[in-house]
Amino acid sequence: MPMKKTRHLLPALASLASATLLAAATACGAGSSMQENPDDYPSKELDWTIAFGPGGGNDIMSRTIVDILNQEELYPADIVVENREGGSGAKGWGHLYSNSGDPYTISTTSGSFITTPLQADTGWMPGDFTHIGLFATDDTLFVTPGSSDITTWEDWVQHAEDEGKVSVGGIGTVNVDYIIQAALAEQAGYEIEYVPFNEEGQLQTALSSGSLDGIVSNPGSIMGQVESGDVNALLFTGQERLKALPDVPTGEEQGYDDLVSMPRGLILPPDAPDYAREWWIETMREVVETDAWQEYLDKNYLTADVRWGDDFTSYLDTTGTRFEKQLKEQGAL
Amino acid sequence: MDIFANLVNGIIGVLSPTTLLFLGVGVLVGMFVGAIPGLGASAGLAILLPLTFGLEPTTAIVMLAAVYYGAMYGNTITAVLINTPGDSAGVPATLEGHPLAKQGRAGPALVVAAIASFIAGTVAVVLLTITAPLMAGVASSFGPPELFLLVVIGLLTLIVLVGRNWLRGLLSVLIGFAIGTVGIDVGGGAQRYTFGSTELINGIHFIPVAIGLFGLGEVLWTLYRGGHRDGASPMRLNRRSGPFWPSRQEWRQARSPIARGTPLGFVLGVIPGAGATVASLISYSVEKGLSKRPQRFGKGAIEGMAGPESANNAAATGAMVPLLTLGIPGSASTAVLLGGFLMWGLQPGPLLMTQEPEFAWGLISSMYLGNVMLLLVSVFCIPLFAAVTRTPFRTLGPLVILLCAFGTFAVNGSVVEVGIMFACGVLGFFMRMYGLAPAATVIALVLGPIAEETLRQTLLLDGGMTLFVQRTPSLVMLFVMALVLCLPLLGTPLKRTAARVAGPSRRAGAAADAEAAEAEEDGGPESVRRQEASGGG
Repeated sequence: MPMKKTRHLLPALASLASATLLAAATACGAGSSMQENPDDYPSKELDWTIAFGPGGGNDIMSRTIVDILNQEELYPADIVVENREGGSGAKGWGHLYSNSGDPYTISTTSGSFITTPLQADTGWMPGDFTHIGLFATDDTLFVTPGSSDITTWEDWVQHAEDEGKVSVGGIGTVNVDYIIQAALAEQAGYEIEYVPFNEEGQLQTALSSGSLDGIVSNPGSIMGQVESGDVNALLFTGQERLKALPDVPTGEEQGYDDLVSMPRGLILPPDAPDYAREWWIETMREVVETDAWQEYLDKNYLTADVRWGDDFTSYLDTTGTRFEKQLKEQGAL
Repeated sequence: MDIFANLVNGIIGVLSPTTLLFLGVGVLVGMFVGAIPGLGASAGLAILLPLTFGLEPTTAIVMLAAVYYGAMYGNTITAVLINTPGDSAGVPATLEGHPLAKQGRAGPALVVAAIASFIAGTVAVVLLTITAPLMAGVASSFGPPELFLLVVIGLLTLIVLVGRNWLRGLLSVLIGFAIGTVGIDVGGGAQRYTFGSTELINGIHFIPVAIGLFGLGEVLWTLYRGGHRDGASPMRLNRRSGPFWPSRQEWRQARSPIARGTPLGFVLGVIPGAGATVASLISYSVEKGLSKRPQRFGKGAIEGMAGPESANNAAATGAMVPLLTLGIPGSASTAVLLGGFLMWGLQPGPLLMTQEPEFAWGLISSMYLGNVMLLLVSVFCIPLFAAVTRTPFRTLGPLVILLCAFGTFAVNGSVVEVGIMFACGVLGFFMRMYGLAPAATVIALVLGPIAEETLRQTLLLDGGMTLFVQRTPSLVMLFVMALVLCLPLLGTPLKRTAARVAGPSRRAGAAADAEAAEAEEDGGPESVRRQEASGGG
């Protein structure tokens, strides 16, 4: 594989040799792009930032795309993939932001792309970047313990109403999980106590130990337990039913809206040249048509949702406003 | 029988020359990565995981499992030689390992650690093979109330760790708690002490603090005491010479701690969250409590290293139980492995072992072989590493500072973390000067936020505080907590019984150290009185 994997060791070595190297390197990157002929783009090494650690949803998507670009020989030069994790994505996207105008720096988005600037002073907003396109959304499954006799969404709503108040869990507070739990409870008319967790493992054992009545989880990480019957899947928040779970209804079918999802898309730094944006839109159109991409969507239970350029910008805009509004209503911001 | 057929198939699958090569490379790479301060098992795995994208899953997991083990041992090497633990579970081993190295017994300390790791690792894999479904039940019964109690038990053992200086110990723990409050509050989403910096929103990590307090703090302290004027220690070290192998007495002292630490580590390692750290802390306090001469602890007691080291390694294997049987990551390292499963296109979950037997049993088999490989590699490499103790401080000191900065930066590529590391180095120096306990600080830093999070989760749940006495698993934890609290009281009578049973010959051996024997006599009647008092009340 021609992909180079350096991660932090090499940059760290470099920093040992010279502390100024990083600054110099970024300066070069930005400077060299200025005098390029648009017809020659792309011709240089691409710096691909993953704003999260290896093995996460964002990481797997980036590596899949890079793999397809290499397999299909769509990108003529080398692609250097680096995990710049930290600050819930603030660091990776901050790196992109500091390389304004550079068409050779690129990154992928996820839910934190919208939520992190809402809760911390990142210095940038999602709208600042050059948006290439959205390819898919990552939605969640609502599950209850397999040992309980709640096996349908109607059972759950009934149970919740009988109990008066139910304990539900998810990851984080300023996050998709909380918005979904709150939106479901409000629209179905039951009361919840939302218990936030930091880690998926502890969230899942809280459910299995009987501490929580129900949780929302990413299909990729909970599907194994759905298949084995350890948990009951009641509702899927995506637009269409999951192929793997044709009997589980979607939130939309139940008449709920505002069920947000994580945008899986691609962005360039702010003020990136138009020719670079156009090149990436054309190239990614080919990528999302490949079998490898389809296989990736199926294996990771993503919903295909393709929007290019300005459509992606307006999507981010409305999603961001919705996130902010709901989090403010619920007092999380 | 099914288990053994599967296991044999797994081993046969792994025994190809290519896979063995990956196994050997993995162990070696893991060991060297782990030997860089800051780069522990989870960082090592995260660095190497992208390399396996597109590899065949079984080959990939064999190599990563080997890296996992190798890095665990690499951590021990830095813990012993330059006093820097790689993760919170490695802290107790540092307390005894480094003093041993300073006495010129780095070789024996590393050999005992390697053998403790080997025994604990192998026994734990056997336990994993046989009891995985049963232990999966233990893991899935741990909700927030139980996790909170487990963490409190871990914090209680700090009483034993800090010893008599309880006021300074308390201060050290409070410093740790204070550092632990930085970051986004998971309960409400508010920022605490981040000063708007995105670098701090996920809190201050263990790594820069531990490297600063231990590694850099030690260097500054040695400078202060004039260590740079000393020449190289005259110790000689090779595999044939005496000082390389542990003495017969050291073997004897290490035996029972390993036997106790292994099952303890395995069982607690299964619990997602803080299992490994609490296991090695409990092991340390148990060994100190049972020791005939507890005053040797902190000055290089081999049993205080063998116990926690085996608990730590057994816990690393225990953490594989929820990963394989439930698809739930129990530790930072297994979370990276879980990411790997997804990356290789596997569906983690309860059905993994039946749907992908070749992969699951390949992983388990590679753990057996990985342990053997690690023992072989480490025995060959120990003289090389132990040579560090022959290096004069004026050469070693600056190198350690460089390594500390490099290691801290390499984990997250963050300059702010390097700054935190240096600040903690200065803090560590003053903590040494005023007799505070850096070990208690880093443990509190790790356990404090988990305790806060799980307590708040428990309070949010229906039932609140009463949940602690309503749930069976949490009652078990309360019982264990009572046991830990009573251990110092029970310790002495137990020891006296043991001494009586063992007869006069062992007694004479123990009495060789006059000071120790005296202290024991002193301690005896007093604690008997205490026992009576508590019995009467």
